[in-house]
Amino acid sequence: MSDQITSTFAALADPTRRAILARLALGETSVTEIAAPFEMSMPAISRHLKVLEKAGLISRGREAQWRPCKLKAEPLKQAADWLDEYRRFWEESFDRLDEYLKTLQIKEKKDARNKNGSGKKRR
Amino acid sequence: MPETKMEVGKSAAEREIVLSRVFDAPRQMVWDAWTDPKQVALWWGPKGFTTTIEEMDVRPGGLWKQVLHGPDGTDYLNESVFLEVVQNERLVYTLTGGRKGGPMVQFEKATTFEEEAGGTRVTMRLIFASAEARDQNVRDYGSIEGAKQAFQRLEDYLAGQFVETTAKA
Repeated sequence: MSDQITSTFAALADPTRRAILARLALGETSVTEIAAPFEMSMPAISRHLKVLEKAGLISRGREAQWRPCKLKAEPLKQAADWLDEYRRFWEESFDRLDEYLKTLQIKEKKDARNKNGSGKKRR
Repeated sequence: MPETKMEVGKSAAEREIVLSRVFDAPRQMVWDAWTDPKQVALWWGPKGFTTTIEEMDVRPGGLWKQVLHGPDGTDYLNESVFLEVVQNERLVYTLTGGRKGGPMVQFEKATTFEEEAGGTRVTMRLIFASAEARDQNVRDYGSIEGAKQAFQRLEDYLAGQFVETTAKA
């Protein structure tokens, strides 16, 4: 239904999860270490980790006690690439809109001049 | 050359991507260019793209379907539903879009039109929210300040990590 990029951005839409990813960017980390900077309950942190795992942004170790989390860079790269493309799309669309608005205004001025110039029309 | 500004996640909501630009034209004119299908088709999309608008019913609940044709023959589908329409001011719609046959990206987009310095500022906000994010309560806000800094680091990380992204000609 929804694709990887959508779920990546949805997962990134939360500041706590972004902070967790930023922490993981520094290397593999235990859940306890991840939770340390946050004033948040362990279950709340676990929920965030589940969302990240489901979105494919992190992988988790198998040891039951110490399931270390690891960043998966590929989906983040995809999202960054998409963002780049989107920005380019709009840079160029905005350029075209700019041009179009300019031609509209030139046309308006011309029309106004023609109206005032000859054959006064009463409204 | 007018500046397009882009920000990621720095807005109040902390979960938005924002693009904005000021156009040297009256607001009514910019609004019309954005909401009249005949005009939209004239400028929408990058250089070399053309747009076929199949349907554009600009009112809450109305559909907007268009196909963008890339210069290389690739078609991109855009399907939207308008959520909010405030004449000359605000346009909100959900958008599903992507390359034909490829994965579709979904988000909500709010476009605002404001008078500024004799022109019009257009600001686009992209909102990607999971249902879970929408339902989340405010309990988590204690971490926002720290998260902001961390997100900055993540951005730096992404910038460093993926700097080899090459522009597709």
